Amino acid sequence: MSFLVVEGLVVGYGEARVLHGVDLSVAEGEICAILGPNGAGKTTLLRALSGMVRARGVIRLGGTALTGRPPDAVARLGVAHVPEGRGTFMPLTVEENLRLGAFVRRGGREVEDDLDRVCSWFPPLRDRLGQVAGSLSGGEQQMLALGRALMLRPKVLLLDEPSLGLAPLVTRELFRIVQAINQEERTTVVVVEQNAHLALGVARQAHVLETGRIVLSGTAERIRADEQVAQSYLGYRV
Amino acid sequence: MAGFLQQVVEGLGAGAVYASLALALVLIYQFTGIVNFAQGELAMFSAYVAWQAMAAGLPFWAALALTLAVSFAGGMLIERIVIRLVEGAPELTLVIVTVGLFIFVNAAAGWIWTFLIKDFPNPFPRGALEVGGVSVGFSTLGVLGVVALVMGLLYLLFQHTKIGLGMRAVAANPDSARLVGIRVGRTLALGWGLAATVGAVSGVLVAPLLFLEPNMMGGVLIYAFAAATLGGFDSPAGAVAGGVIVGVAETLAGAYVPAVGSDLKIGVPLAIILGVLLVRPRGLFGRAVVERA
Repeated sequence: MSFLVVEGLVVGYGEARVLHGVDLSVAEGEICAILGPNGAGKTTLLRALSGMVRARGVIRLGGTALTGRPPDAVARLGVAHVPEGRGTFMPLTVEENLRLGAFVRRGGREVEDDLDRVCSWFPPLRDRLGQVAGSLSGGEQQMLALGRALMLRPKVLLLDEPSLGLAPLVTRELFRIVQAINQEERTTVVVVEQNAHLALGVARQAHVLETGRIVLSGTAERIRADEQVAQSYLGYRV
Repeated sequence: MAGFLQQVVEGLGAGAVYASLALALVLIYQFTGIVNFAQGELAMFSAYVAWQAMAAGLPFWAALALTLAVSFAGGMLIERIVIRLVEGAPELTLVIVTVGLFIFVNAAAGWIWTFLIKDFPNPFPRGALEVGGVSVGFSTLGVLGVVALVMGLLYLLFQHTKIGLGMRAVAANPDSARLVGIRVGRTLALGWGLAATVGAVSGVLVAPLLFLEPNMMGGVLIYAFAAATLGGFDSPAGAVAGGVIVGVAETLAGAYVPAVGSDLKIGVPLAIILGVLLVRPRGLFGRAVVERA
């Protein structure tokens, strides 16, 4: 049932330990939100999932062990990571950025169709295919990052703070698209987000990470109703 | 006027050679952020490989093909064995490592082939084309043609192939390149192989103009540094333009500035490097590095 399984995940940078045994399981086709304050280890958790940092413990994707694999191998297995800071290839064109998302796929008809599909999700990108990616606005760059990730036809999409630095309207639109993609393609999504309102609005399951440990897990409704979460992340009392 | 144009033509020929080595420098800098002081020595070593192949009886063009293949493999090997160890190290470490490589390759060439100068055949026919009182040597035309060809091939590789796109992605953002599934280590090795191959072309072009000996690229390297600095260390097209400008400037200064003459010509690239660093550090075609605070 569980598609993405994490057990006893431990990550440290040098002496400093960031994650102290994280357990997590995400069902296929669901959106899972990871909430938590700054410095809780949310970004590190995603980086461990995609192989960008060394981790001990178990990470399994549909029965395949991911732990210890380098990021390029994890990408080949169908995990697309939109990193903190969006990971744009600034000097390259928008189209080149998107095509790089499909780098590990064999080119041809399907990739061309997907390029078209991504452009229909993010119309501003279609008008800027030949433009240098560094010239895009923050919102467009976030669209580009998401589009690049989708070009992999990922089994799992890892999103790191998609709302960071974006206007509320743009952010809402992005989350709406993520939800639509999740429903249409049955893509499993793990989203790390400080904006708990937004994340809980689209997620089915949610987990609260604090100082490297999951302190609360449950359905989005349950987490939303939790008094502690409400106070810490939603800014009101239940 | 004809005399002046003649000097310009000579300068273009020299500049094309500097451009090819500058191109190799820029390739490696783009991929790894390393200024490879050993680039000239690798080119010299490649020229010796060509000389050895010809001494064994191969015709020039076959020897060239073999040399390019050996250089490509050698460049990749150096990246895998030496550079990999210091990847991400502070700049000073990288400088020391490439300077060490410079000394090692220079000494290895001396050890294998001795420091006695060797004659290296010119692949282009003798003679010259007379155009309006200016004589353009076939050798000069040949050098310009080869460098243009190398430029063209690199352009095709980078702009129109998937491997090229992957290489540009690695140069632009290695972390992100990993995340889209590019094998960054292999790509870096490929970049070194490619740079060594381009450098080999410049070595083979230089050898007939000078004489083949282990120290022959020393001066050329300085001109190539001037070319890369002038053009912008992150711009291949700039490196070529820079090379041509440096070549012409050097020749004209040698011919028309009595104080420079042929003895002080080496001062010209140094003056260019200094001038560019003072006035426009990113070079003519380079991008200024802008980072948000």
